Amino acid sequence: MSMIEVNNLVKQYKGAKEPSVKGVSFSVERGEFFAFLGPNGAGKTTTISILTTTLSKTSGEVKIAGFDIEKEARKVREKVGIIFQQPSLDPQLTAEQNIRFHACLYGMCGYRPTFKMMPAAYRNRVMELAEIVGIQDALFKPIKKLSGGMQRKLEIIRSLIHTPAVLFLDEPTQGLDAVSRRGLWDYINDVRNQYGTTVFLTTHYIDEAENVDKVCLINHGKIAACCSPEEMKNSLLRQELILDAEDRTALTNELTTLGLPYTVNGRVIVPYQESAQDVISRLQTKLTVLRIHEPSLEDAYVEFLNKSGRDAA
Amino acid sequence: MSTLVLARKQSRVFRELNSVVTVMAREITAYLKSPGAAIMSLAMPLVMMGMIGGNLMQNMAGGLGFEFGQFMLVGMLVNMLFMITSMGMASMVDDHDIDFNQEMLVSPVSRVSLVIGKILGSAFAAIVSMAGTLIVGLIMGITLPLGKLLLILALSPLMCLTGGALAMLVIGLIKSKKAANLAVNLIVMPQMFLSGAIIPINNSSGVLLVLSRLMPMTYCLDLARAVIYAGTPEYDSVVMFNPALNFAAIAVLTVGCLILGTFFFAQSEKNR
Repeated sequence: MSMIEVNNLVKQYKGAKEPSVKGVSFSVERGEFFAFLGPNGAGKTTTISILTTTLSKTSGEVKIAGFDIEKEARKVREKVGIIFQQPSLDPQLTAEQNIRFHACLYGMCGYRPTFKMMPAAYRNRVMELAEIVGIQDALFKPIKKLSGGMQRKLEIIRSLIHTPAVLFLDEPTQGLDAVSRRGLWDYINDVRNQYGTTVFLTTHYIDEAENVDKVCLINHGKIAACCSPEEMKNSLLRQELILDAEDRTALTNELTTLGLPYTVNGRVIVPYQESAQDVISRLQTKLTVLRIHEPSLEDAYVEFLNKSGRDAA
Repeated sequence: MSTLVLARKQSRVFRELNSVVTVMAREITAYLKSPGAAIMSLAMPLVMMGMIGGNLMQNMAGGLGFEFGQFMLVGMLVNMLFMITSMGMASMVDDHDIDFNQEMLVSPVSRVSLVIGKILGSAFAAIVSMAGTLIVGLIMGITLPLGKLLLILALSPLMCLTGGALAMLVIGLIKSKKAANLAVNLIVMPQMFLSGAIIPINNSSGVLLVLSRLMPMTYCLDLARAVIYAGTPEYDSVVMFNPALNFAAIAVLTVGCLILGTFFFAQSEKNR
Protein backbone atom coordinates (compact mmCIF):
# COMPACT_ATOMS: atom_id res chain seq x y z
CA MET A 1 0.00 0.00 0.00
CA SER A 2 1.27 3.49 -0.86
CA MET A 3 1.66 5.69 2.19
CA ILE A 4 2.01 8.81 0.07
CA GLU A 5 0.23 9.18 -3.25
CA VAL A 6 0.59 12.42 -5.17
CA ASN A 7 -1.15 12.85 -8.52
CA ASN A 8 -0.70 15.89 -10.73
CA LEU A 9 -0.18 18.26 -7.79
CA VAL A 10 -0.18 21.94 -8.67
CA LYS A 11 0.41 24.90 -6.35
CA GLN A 12 0.34 28.51 -7.40
CA TYR A 13 0.80 31.06 -4.61
CA LYS A 14 -1.49 34.09 -4.52
CA GLY A 15 -0.11 36.81 -6.76
CA ALA A 16 2.55 34.53 -8.29
CA LYS A 17 2.93 34.61 -12.07
CA GLU A 18 3.40 30.88 -12.39
CA PRO A 19 2.94 27.78 -10.21
CA SER A 20 5.70 26.75 -7.80
CA VAL A 21 4.71 23.10 -8.21
CA LYS A 22 3.65 22.10 -11.72
CA GLY A 23 1.80 18.81 -11.96
CA VAL A 24 3.98 16.69 -9.69
CA SER A 25 3.20 12.96 -9.34
CA PHE A 26 4.95 10.28 -7.27
CA SER A 27 4.22 7.64 -4.67
CA VAL A 28 6.00 6.35 -1.57
CA GLU A 29 5.40 2.83 -0.27
CA ARG A 30 4.95 1.86 3.38
CA GLY A 31 8.27 1.81 5.22
CA GLU A 32 10.10 3.35 2.30
CA PHE A 33 12.86 5.91 2.82
CA PHE A 34 12.19 8.58 0.21
CA ALA A 35 14.36 11.58 -0.65
CA PHE A 36 12.98 14.64 -2.42
CA LEU A 37 15.95 16.59 -3.75
CA GLY A 38 16.30 19.78 -5.69
CA PRO A 39 17.93 23.20 -5.65
CA ASN A 40 16.63 26.15 -3.61
CA GLY A 41 13.22 27.27 -4.85
CA ALA A 42 12.55 24.02 -6.70
CA GLY A 43 9.27 23.39 -4.82
CA LYS A 44 10.38 20.96 -2.10
CA THR A 45 9.08 22.83 0.95
CA THR A 46 5.89 23.82 -0.88
CA THR A 47 5.23 20.13 -1.61
CA ILE A 48 6.00 19.07 1.97
CA SER A 49 3.71 21.81 3.35
CA ILE A 50 0.84 20.58 1.18
CA LEU A 51 1.45 16.96 2.16
CA THR A 52 1.35 17.88 5.87
CA THR A 53 -1.90 19.89 5.41
CA THR A 54 -0.41 23.26 6.38
CA LEU A 55 -0.75 24.68 2.86
CA SER A 56 -3.65 24.35 0.43
CA LYS A 57 -3.09 22.94 -3.04
CA THR A 58 -4.29 24.59 -6.23
CA SER A 59 -5.22 21.27 -7.88
CA GLY A 60 -4.35 17.61 -7.96
CA GLU A 61 -4.89 14.72 -5.61
CA VAL A 62 -2.86 13.82 -2.51
CA LYS A 63 -3.43 10.89 -0.15
CA ILE A 64 -1.45 10.09 2.98
CA ALA A 65 -1.92 6.59 4.44
CA GLY A 66 -4.99 6.31 2.21
CA PHE A 67 -6.59 9.53 3.53
CA ASP A 68 -7.31 12.53 1.33
CA ILE A 69 -5.42 15.58 2.65
CA GLU A 70 -8.41 17.88 2.25
CA LYS A 71 -11.42 15.70 3.02
CA GLU A 72 -9.72 13.75 5.82
CA ALA A 73 -7.14 16.26 7.02
CA ARG A 74 -7.50 15.29 10.68
CA LYS A 75 -6.75 11.62 9.98
CA VAL A 76 -3.76 12.66 7.88
CA ARG A 77 -2.45 14.81 10.76
CA GLU A 78 -2.70 11.87 13.14
CA LYS A 79 -0.44 9.85 10.87
CA VAL A 80 2.31 12.37 10.22
CA GLY A 81 5.18 13.93 12.09
CA ILE A 82 7.26 16.78 10.74
CA ILE A 83 10.48 18.64 11.33
CA PHE A 84 9.92 21.99 9.66
CA GLN A 85 12.65 23.73 7.70
CA GLN A 86 12.42 26.76 10.01
CA PRO A 87 12.49 26.26 13.81
CA SER A 88 8.95 26.30 15.25
CA LEU A 89 9.55 26.26 19.00
CA ASP A 90 7.99 28.54 21.59
CA PRO A 91 10.91 30.57 23.00
CA GLN A 92 8.96 31.38 26.17
CA LEU A 93 8.75 27.72 27.21
CA THR A 94 11.43 25.27 28.31
CA ALA A 95 12.55 22.46 26.02
CA GLU A 96 10.44 19.92 27.91
CA GLN A 97 7.39 22.20 27.94
CA ASN A 98 7.60 22.40 24.14
CA ILE A 99 7.60 18.60 23.93
CA ARG A 100 4.75 18.33 26.46
CA PHE A 101 2.69 20.79 24.44
CA HIS A 102 3.15 18.66 21.32
CA ALA A 103 2.49 15.32 23.06
CA CYS A 104 -0.75 16.63 24.59
CA LEU A 105 -1.99 18.10 21.31
CA TYR A 106 -1.37 14.72 19.68
CA GLY A 107 -3.48 13.07 22.39
CA MET A 108 -0.58 11.08 23.82
CA CYS A 109 -1.56 12.01 27.39
CA GLY A 110 -3.62 14.46 29.39
CA TYR A 111 -2.00 17.79 30.18
CA ARG A 112 -0.40 18.20 33.63
CA PRO A 113 1.22 21.43 34.84
CA THR A 114 4.65 19.93 35.63
CA PHE A 115 6.94 17.27 34.14
CA LYS A 116 6.88 15.28 37.38
CA MET A 117 3.10 15.10 37.24
CA MET A 118 3.09 13.76 33.66
CA PRO A 119 2.52 10.00 33.18
CA ALA A 120 5.59 7.77 33.55
CA ALA A 121 5.29 6.63 29.90
CA TYR A 122 5.69 10.22 28.74
CA ARG A 123 8.57 10.96 31.10
CA ASN A 124 10.46 7.82 30.08
CA ARG A 125 10.02 8.47 26.38
CA VAL A 126 11.18 12.09 26.69
CA MET A 127 14.27 11.04 28.66
CA GLU A 128 15.02 8.24 26.21
CA LEU A 129 14.78 10.52 23.16
CA ALA A 130 16.74 13.29 24.92
CA GLU A 131 19.55 10.85 25.59
CA ILE A 132 19.61 9.66 21.99
CA VAL A 133 20.03 13.16 20.57
CA GLY A 134 22.15 14.29 23.52
CA ILE A 135 20.12 17.09 25.09
CA GLN A 136 19.23 15.55 28.46
CA ASP A 137 21.08 18.36 30.27
CA ALA A 138 19.18 21.05 28.40
CA LEU A 139 15.71 19.57 28.78
CA PHE A 140 14.54 21.99 31.45
CA LYS A 141 16.24 25.09 30.13
CA PRO A 142 14.34 27.86 28.33
CA ILE A 143 14.54 27.66 24.53
CA LYS A 144 16.18 31.10 24.49
CA LYS A 145 19.22 29.59 26.21
CA LEU A 146 19.69 26.71 23.74
CA SER A 147 21.99 26.90 20.73
CA GLY A 148 20.57 26.49 17.21
CA GLY A 149 21.82 22.90 17.08
CA MET A 150 20.23 22.05 20.43
CA GLN A 151 16.92 23.53 19.26
CA ARG A 152 17.08 21.36 16.16
CA LYS A 153 17.62 18.27 18.31
CA LEU A 154 14.63 19.26 20.40
CA GLU A 155 12.48 19.52 17.28
CA ILE A 156 13.62 16.02 16.34
CA ILE A 157 12.42 14.66 19.70
CA ARG A 158 9.16 16.51 19.30
CA SER A 159 8.50 15.07 15.84
CA LEU A 160 9.13 11.51 17.04
CA ILE A 161 7.34 11.58 20.38
CA HIS A 162 4.05 10.36 18.89
CA THR A 163 5.71 7.69 16.72
CA PRO A 164 4.23 8.87 13.39
CA ALA A 165 3.54 6.47 10.51
CA VAL A 166 4.97 9.00 8.05
CA LEU A 167 7.80 11.25 9.11
CA PHE A 168 8.46 14.38 7.03
CA LEU A 169 11.95 15.77 7.47
CA ASP A 170 12.45 19.14 5.82
CA GLU A 171 16.22 19.62 5.99
CA PRO A 172 16.36 18.08 9.47
CA THR A 173 20.11 18.22 10.03
CA GLN A 174 20.58 21.87 9.15
CA GLY A 175 22.77 23.35 11.88
CA LEU A 176 23.73 20.01 13.45
CA ASP A 177 27.33 18.93 14.00
CA ALA A 178 28.65 15.73 12.39
CA VAL A 179 28.26 13.60 15.53
CA SER A 180 24.66 14.72 16.08
CA ARG A 181 23.86 14.14 12.40
CA ARG A 182 25.12 10.59 12.61
CA GLY A 183 23.26 10.00 15.89
CA LEU A 184 20.06 11.27 14.33
CA TRP A 185 20.31 9.05 11.27
CA ASP A 186 21.12 6.01 13.39
CA TYR A 187 18.02 6.70 15.46
CA ILE A 188 15.80 7.30 12.43
CA ASN A 189 16.98 4.01 10.94
CA ASP A 190 16.12 2.29 14.25
CA VAL A 191 12.66 3.88 14.19
CA ARG A 192 12.18 2.70 10.61
CA ASN A 193 13.27 -0.82 11.42
CA GLN A 194 11.16 -1.07 14.56
CA TYR A 195 7.94 0.67 13.51
CA GLY A 196 8.10 0.52 9.71
CA THR A 197 7.95 4.32 9.59
CA THR A 198 7.85 5.86 6.14
CA VAL A 199 10.36 8.71 5.89
CA PHE A 200 10.08 11.61 3.45
CA LEU A 201 13.29 13.63 3.40
CA THR A 202 14.40 16.86 1.82
CA THR A 203 18.02 17.82 2.38
CA HIS A 204 20.88 19.82 1.01
CA TYR A 205 23.36 17.23 2.32
CA ILE A 206 23.06 14.86 -0.63
CA ASP A 207 25.18 12.19 1.09
CA GLU A 208 22.30 11.78 3.59
CA ALA A 209 20.15 10.50 0.72
CA GLU A 210 22.73 7.95 -0.41
CA ASN A 211 20.99 5.10 1.42
CA VAL A 212 17.38 5.95 0.63
CA ASP A 213 15.12 3.53 -1.24
CA LYS A 214 13.89 6.05 -3.77
CA VAL A 215 14.98 9.52 -4.79
CA CYS A 216 13.00 12.13 -6.71
CA LEU A 217 14.68 15.13 -8.24
CA ILE A 218 12.52 18.23 -8.58
CA ASN A 219 13.55 21.29 -10.52
CA HIS A 220 11.50 24.37 -11.40
CA GLY A 221 8.43 22.70 -9.87
CA LYS A 222 8.61 19.57 -12.02
CA ILE A 223 9.80 16.04 -11.28
CA ALA A 224 12.90 15.44 -13.39
CA ALA A 225 13.73 11.91 -12.25
CA CYS A 226 12.32 9.40 -9.78
CA CYS A 227 14.17 6.13 -9.18
CA SER A 228 16.62 4.41 -6.83
CA PRO A 229 19.92 6.21 -6.12
CA GLU A 230 21.79 3.43 -7.99
CA GLU A 231 19.62 3.82 -11.08
CA MET A 232 20.08 7.57 -10.93
CA LYS A 233 23.85 7.29 -10.70
CA ASN A 234 23.96 4.75 -13.53
CA SER A 235 21.75 6.83 -15.79
CA LEU A 236 23.75 10.03 -15.29
CA LEU A 237 27.31 8.92 -14.62
CA ARG A 238 29.81 6.26 -15.55
CA GLN A 239 32.30 4.55 -13.28
CA GLU A 240 35.87 5.60 -13.90
CA LEU A 241 39.37 4.26 -13.48
CA ILE A 242 41.93 6.82 -12.43
CA LEU A 243 45.34 5.80 -13.75
CA ASP A 244 48.83 7.17 -14.13
CA ALA A 245 52.23 5.84 -15.15
CA GLU A 246 55.83 7.05 -15.12
CA ASP A 247 55.58 6.97 -18.92
CA ARG A 248 52.19 8.60 -19.31
CA THR A 249 52.59 8.87 -23.10
CA ALA A 250 53.02 5.08 -23.35
CA LEU A 251 49.88 4.62 -21.28
CA THR A 252 47.73 6.96 -23.39
CA ASN A 253 49.11 5.39 -26.61
CA GLU A 254 48.20 1.95 -25.30
CA LEU A 255 44.68 3.10 -24.39
CA THR A 256 44.26 4.52 -27.89
CA THR A 257 45.51 1.27 -29.43
CA LEU A 258 43.05 -0.73 -27.32
CA GLY A 259 40.21 1.59 -28.37
CA LEU A 260 39.47 2.69 -24.80
CA PRO A 261 38.25 6.28 -24.35
CA TYR A 262 40.10 8.44 -21.84
CA THR A 263 40.65 12.01 -20.70
CA VAL A 264 43.67 13.56 -19.04
CA ASN A 265 42.81 15.81 -16.14
CA GLY A 266 45.75 15.68 -13.74
CA ARG A 267 45.55 11.88 -14.07
CA VAL A 268 44.40 9.64 -16.90
CA ILE A 269 40.69 9.00 -16.47
CA VAL A 270 39.22 5.95 -18.18
CA PRO A 271 35.45 5.45 -18.03
CA TYR A 272 34.24 1.86 -18.10
CA GLN A 273 30.88 0.10 -18.36
CA GLU A 274 31.15 -3.46 -17.07
CA SER A 275 34.22 -4.50 -15.06
CA ALA A 276 37.34 -2.56 -14.05
CA GLN A 277 39.25 -5.86 -14.08
CA ASP A 278 38.69 -6.21 -17.88
CA VAL A 279 40.37 -2.86 -18.51
CA ILE A 280 43.28 -3.35 -16.11
CA SER A 281 44.12 -6.86 -17.33
CA ARG A 282 44.57 -5.55 -20.89
CA LEU A 283 47.15 -2.89 -19.96
CA GLN A 284 50.88 -3.64 -20.30
CA THR A 285 52.22 -0.22 -19.21
CA LYS A 286 53.53 -0.21 -15.63
CA LEU A 287 51.03 1.83 -13.55
CA THR A 288 51.97 4.14 -10.69
CA VAL A 289 48.38 5.11 -9.83
CA LEU A 290 45.31 2.88 -9.92
CA ARG A 291 42.05 3.97 -8.34
CA ILE A 292 38.39 3.19 -8.99
CA HIS A 293 36.03 6.12 -8.76
CA GLU A 294 32.50 5.09 -7.75
CA PRO A 295 30.15 8.02 -8.49
CA SER A 296 28.19 9.30 -5.51
CA LEU A 297 24.61 10.48 -5.48
CA GLU A 298 25.97 13.99 -5.07
CA ASP A 299 27.94 13.57 -8.33
CA ALA A 300 24.76 12.44 -10.04
CA TYR A 301 22.79 15.32 -8.51
CA VAL A 302 25.33 17.92 -9.66
CA GLU A 303 25.44 16.33 -13.12
CA PHE A 304 21.66 16.42 -13.24
CA LEU A 305 21.55 20.12 -12.34
CA ASN A 306 24.28 20.94 -14.86
CA LYS A 307 22.42 18.95 -17.53
CA SER A 308 19.16 20.73 -16.67
CA GLY A 309 20.96 24.05 -16.97
CA ARG A 310 22.42 23.07 -20.33
CA ASP A 311 19.02 21.87 -21.58
CA ALA A 312 17.35 25.08 -20.41
CA ALA A 313 20.04 27.15 -22.18
CA MET B 1 15.91 1.47 21.68
CA SER B 2 12.99 1.18 24.07
CA THR B 3 9.84 -0.43 22.78
CA LEU B 4 7.77 2.03 24.79
CA VAL B 5 5.13 3.71 22.67
CA LEU B 6 2.67 6.19 24.05
CA ALA B 7 -0.88 5.26 23.18
CA ARG B 8 -3.72 7.46 22.10
CA LYS B 9 -6.44 6.16 24.36
CA GLN B 10 -8.66 9.14 24.87
CA SER B 11 -12.03 9.80 23.26
CA ARG B 12 -12.41 12.58 20.69
CA VAL B 13 -14.16 14.86 23.19
CA PHE B 14 -11.44 14.33 25.80
CA ARG B 15 -8.76 15.06 23.23
CA GLU B 16 -10.42 18.31 22.20
CA LEU B 17 -10.79 19.39 25.84
CA ASN B 18 -7.20 18.34 26.49
CA SER B 19 -6.02 20.46 23.57
CA VAL B 20 -7.98 23.47 24.92
CA VAL B 21 -6.31 23.01 28.33
CA THR B 22 -2.88 22.52 26.73
CA VAL B 23 -3.04 25.69 24.64
CA MET B 24 -4.50 27.59 27.60
CA ALA B 25 -1.69 26.36 29.87
CA ARG B 26 0.90 27.48 27.34
CA GLU B 27 -0.55 31.00 27.36
CA ILE B 28 -0.64 31.12 31.15
CA THR B 29 2.94 29.80 31.43
CA ALA B 30 4.15 32.42 28.97
CA TYR B 31 2.25 35.13 30.89
CA LEU B 32 3.75 34.09 34.21
CA LYS B 33 7.24 34.16 32.69
CA SER B 34 6.77 37.64 31.28
CA PRO B 35 7.08 40.35 33.94
CA GLY B 36 6.17 42.99 31.36
CA ALA B 37 2.81 41.38 30.68
CA ALA B 38 2.06 41.05 34.40
CA ILE B 39 2.98 44.71 35.05
CA MET B 40 0.83 45.74 32.07
CA SER B 41 -2.23 43.86 33.29
CA LEU B 42 -1.90 45.48 36.71
CA ALA B 43 -1.13 48.96 35.34
CA MET B 44 -4.17 49.00 33.04
CA PRO B 45 -6.68 49.15 35.94
CA LEU B 46 -4.78 52.13 37.35
CA VAL B 47 -5.17 53.99 34.07
CA MET B 48 -8.67 52.84 33.19
CA MET B 49 -10.34 52.79 36.58
CA GLY B 50 -8.14 55.17 38.56
CA MET B 51 -7.60 57.95 36.02
CA ILE B 52 -10.43 57.75 33.47
CA GLY B 53 -13.01 56.41 35.93
CA GLY B 54 -11.94 58.75 38.74
CA ASN B 55 -12.18 61.77 36.47
CA LEU B 56 -15.64 60.77 35.21
CA MET B 57 -16.84 60.20 38.77
CA GLN B 58 -15.74 63.63 39.86
CA ASN B 59 -17.19 65.47 36.87
CA MET B 60 -20.14 63.49 35.44
CA ALA B 61 -21.69 61.49 38.22
CA GLY B 62 -24.60 63.78 39.17
CA GLY B 63 -28.31 63.37 38.26
CA LEU B 64 -28.20 59.81 36.91
CA GLY B 65 -30.64 58.27 39.36
CA PHE B 66 -28.12 55.67 40.44
CA GLU B 67 -24.69 55.53 42.04
CA PHE B 68 -22.22 56.15 39.18
CA GLY B 69 -19.18 54.62 40.91
CA GLN B 70 -20.67 51.15 41.11
CA PHE B 71 -22.10 51.45 37.57
CA MET B 72 -18.69 52.36 36.24
CA LEU B 73 -16.83 49.70 38.24
CA VAL B 74 -18.95 46.92 36.67
CA GLY B 75 -18.36 48.52 33.27
CA MET B 76 -14.62 48.66 33.84
CA LEU B 77 -14.51 45.03 35.00
CA VAL B 78 -16.15 43.80 31.80
CA ASN B 79 -14.20 46.25 29.67
CA MET B 80 -10.97 44.98 31.20
CA LEU B 81 -11.91 41.38 30.36
CA PHE B 82 -12.55 42.34 26.74
CA MET B 83 -9.52 44.60 26.42
CA ILE B 84 -6.87 42.31 27.93
CA THR B 85 -8.24 39.19 26.20
CA SER B 86 -8.15 41.01 22.85
CA MET B 87 -4.58 42.14 23.50
CA GLY B 88 -3.65 38.54 24.30
CA MET B 89 -5.15 37.38 21.02
CA ALA B 90 -2.80 39.75 19.19
CA SER B 91 0.00 37.37 20.19
CA MET B 92 -1.27 35.05 17.42
CA VAL B 93 0.75 37.29 15.13
CA ASP B 94 3.87 36.55 17.24
CA ASP B 95 3.09 32.84 16.92
CA HIS B 96 2.91 33.27 13.17
CA ASP B 97 6.27 35.10 13.14
CA ILE B 98 8.05 32.33 15.05
CA ASP B 99 6.28 29.65 12.95
CA PHE B 100 4.60 28.26 16.05
CA ASN B 101 1.19 28.45 14.35
CA GLN B 102 2.49 25.75 11.97
CA GLU B 103 3.19 23.49 14.93
CA MET B 104 -0.36 23.98 16.21
CA LEU B 105 -2.04 23.68 12.82
CA VAL B 106 -0.35 20.41 11.93
CA SER B 107 -1.73 18.77 15.10
CA PRO B 108 -4.79 16.50 14.82
CA VAL B 109 -7.21 18.67 16.78
CA SER B 110 -9.98 21.04 15.82
CA ARG B 111 -8.85 24.57 14.96
CA VAL B 112 -11.74 25.85 17.11
CA SER B 113 -10.23 24.07 20.14
CA LEU B 114 -6.90 25.79 19.48
CA VAL B 115 -8.57 29.18 19.30
CA ILE B 116 -10.70 28.58 22.43
CA GLY B 117 -7.55 27.51 24.30
CA LYS B 118 -5.80 30.67 23.16
CA ILE B 119 -8.72 32.85 24.28
CA LEU B 120 -9.03 31.18 27.68
CA GLY B 121 -5.27 31.46 28.17
CA SER B 122 -5.45 35.17 27.41
CA ALA B 123 -8.38 35.35 29.83
CA PHE B 124 -5.99 34.57 32.69
CA ALA B 125 -4.27 37.95 32.27
CA ALA B 126 -7.70 39.57 31.89
CA ILE B 127 -8.88 38.12 35.19
CA VAL B 128 -5.69 39.39 36.89
CA SER B 129 -6.58 42.84 35.51
CA MET B 130 -10.10 42.38 36.79
CA ALA B 131 -8.70 41.79 40.28
CA GLY B 132 -6.53 44.91 39.87
CA THR B 133 -9.61 46.91 38.88
CA LEU B 134 -11.43 45.74 42.02
CA ILE B 135 -8.47 46.82 44.18
CA VAL B 136 -8.35 50.26 42.53
CA GLY B 137 -12.15 50.49 43.02
CA LEU B 138 -11.71 49.60 46.67
CA ILE B 139 -9.14 52.36 47.08
CA MET B 140 -11.63 54.77 45.45
CA GLY B 141 -14.27 53.63 47.93
CA ILE B 142 -16.37 51.60 45.42
CA THR B 143 -17.28 48.05 46.43
CA LEU B 144 -19.50 45.26 45.13
CA PRO B 145 -21.38 42.63 47.19
CA LEU B 146 -19.11 39.56 47.52
CA GLY B 147 -21.73 37.00 46.46
CA LYS B 148 -22.57 38.95 43.30
CA LEU B 149 -18.92 39.54 42.60
CA LEU B 150 -18.31 35.80 42.66
CA LEU B 151 -21.12 35.38 40.14
CA ILE B 152 -19.41 37.89 37.85
CA LEU B 153 -16.17 35.99 38.32
CA ALA B 154 -17.96 32.79 37.29
CA LEU B 155 -19.25 34.53 34.16
CA SER B 156 -15.88 36.07 33.30
CA PRO B 157 -14.53 33.16 31.17
CA LEU B 158 -17.67 33.39 29.02
CA MET B 159 -17.18 37.12 28.63
CA CYS B 160 -13.50 36.61 27.74
CA LEU B 161 -14.56 34.02 25.18
CA THR B 162 -16.90 36.59 23.62
CA GLY B 163 -14.21 39.29 23.58
CA GLY B 164 -11.57 36.90 22.25
CA ALA B 165 -13.88 35.55 19.55
CA LEU B 166 -14.59 39.09 18.39
CA ALA B 167 -10.86 39.87 18.32
CA MET B 168 -10.27 36.68 16.29
CA LEU B 169 -12.51 38.03 13.53
CA VAL B 170 -9.89 40.67 12.78
CA ILE B 171 -6.62 39.27 14.16
CA GLY B 172 -7.03 35.97 12.32
CA LEU B 173 -6.49 37.82 9.05
CA ILE B 174 -3.54 39.96 10.15
CA LYS B 175 0.11 39.03 9.77
CA SER B 176 1.79 42.19 11.09
CA LYS B 177 2.21 42.97 14.77
CA LYS B 178 1.77 46.69 14.22
CA ALA B 179 -1.50 46.12 12.36
CA ALA B 180 -2.65 43.67 15.05
CA ASN B 181 -2.13 46.25 17.81
CA LEU B 182 -4.04 48.81 15.78
CA ALA B 183 -6.82 46.29 15.21
CA VAL B 184 -7.07 45.62 18.96
CA ASN B 185 -7.52 49.34 19.58
CA LEU B 186 -10.14 49.48 16.85
CA ILE B 187 -12.03 46.66 18.53
CA VAL B 188 -11.66 47.81 22.12
CA MET B 189 -12.08 51.57 22.04
CA PRO B 190 -15.44 51.87 20.23
CA GLN B 191 -16.88 49.13 22.42
CA MET B 192 -15.88 50.91 25.61
CA PHE B 193 -17.98 53.92 24.61
CA LEU B 194 -20.72 52.31 22.52
CA SER B 195 -21.50 49.42 24.88
CA GLY B 196 -22.00 51.57 27.97
CA ALA B 197 -18.94 50.52 29.94
CA ILE B 198 -18.43 53.96 31.42
CA ILE B 199 -21.20 56.08 29.94
CA PRO B 200 -24.88 55.01 30.13
CA ILE B 201 -26.36 54.32 26.69
CA ASN B 202 -30.03 54.09 27.66
CA ASN B 203 -30.76 57.21 25.63
CA SER B 204 -28.67 56.37 22.54
CA SER B 205 -30.47 56.70 19.21
CA GLY B 206 -29.85 56.47 15.46
CA VAL B 207 -26.57 54.99 14.26
CA LEU B 208 -25.13 54.88 17.78
CA LEU B 209 -28.09 52.80 18.94
CA VAL B 210 -27.63 50.33 16.05
CA LEU B 211 -23.90 50.08 16.69
CA SER B 212 -24.41 49.52 20.42
CA ARG B 213 -26.77 46.62 19.67
CA LEU B 214 -24.15 45.05 17.38
CA MET B 215 -21.45 45.12 20.06
CA PRO B 216 -21.13 41.83 21.97
CA MET B 217 -19.85 43.75 24.99
CA THR B 218 -23.24 45.53 25.30
CA TYR B 219 -24.87 42.22 26.27
CA CYS B 220 -21.99 41.11 28.52
CA LEU B 221 -22.16 44.42 30.38
CA ASP B 222 -25.92 44.31 30.68
CA LEU B 223 -25.76 40.74 32.00
CA ALA B 224 -23.10 41.71 34.56
CA ARG B 225 -25.19 44.68 35.71
CA ALA B 226 -28.31 42.50 35.88
CA VAL B 227 -26.38 40.26 38.30
CA ILE B 228 -25.08 43.14 40.43
CA TYR B 229 -28.29 45.19 40.49
CA ALA B 230 -30.73 42.27 40.87
CA GLY B 231 -33.30 43.09 43.58
CA THR B 232 -32.27 46.75 43.88
CA PRO B 233 -34.43 49.83 43.06
CA GLU B 234 -31.85 50.94 40.44
CA TYR B 235 -32.29 47.76 38.36
CA ASP B 236 -34.71 49.30 35.84
CA SER B 237 -32.61 52.42 35.30
CA VAL B 238 -29.39 50.49 34.79
CA VAL B 239 -30.29 47.18 33.08
CA MET B 240 -31.62 47.35 29.52
CA PHE B 241 -32.51 43.77 28.56
CA ASN B 242 -33.81 40.56 30.09
CA PRO B 243 -30.82 38.40 31.21
CA ALA B 244 -32.12 35.54 29.05
CA LEU B 245 -31.97 37.81 25.99
CA ASN B 246 -28.44 38.84 27.00
CA PHE B 247 -27.42 35.18 27.27
CA ALA B 248 -28.93 34.38 23.89
CA ALA B 249 -27.25 37.37 22.23
CA ILE B 250 -23.89 36.50 23.82
CA ALA B 251 -24.20 32.87 22.72
CA VAL B 252 -25.10 33.73 19.11
CA LEU B 253 -22.45 36.44 18.74
CA THR B 254 -19.73 34.35 20.43
CA VAL B 255 -20.37 31.22 18.37
CA GLY B 256 -20.67 33.29 15.18
CA CYS B 257 -17.46 35.24 15.80
CA LEU B 258 -15.62 32.09 16.93
CA ILE B 259 -16.51 30.08 13.84
CA LEU B 260 -15.84 32.94 11.42
CA GLY B 261 -12.66 34.05 13.22
CA THR B 262 -11.28 30.50 13.32
CA PHE B 263 -12.12 30.04 9.64
CA PHE B 264 -10.33 33.28 8.71
CA PHE B 265 -7.32 32.31 10.83
CA ALA B 266 -7.00 28.79 9.42
CA GLN B 267 -7.55 29.97 5.85
CA SER B 268 -5.07 32.84 6.11
CA GLU B 269 -2.40 30.41 7.33
CA LYS B 270 -3.21 27.79 4.71
CA ASN B 271 -4.31 29.75 1.64
CA ARG B 272 -1.17 31.54 0.64
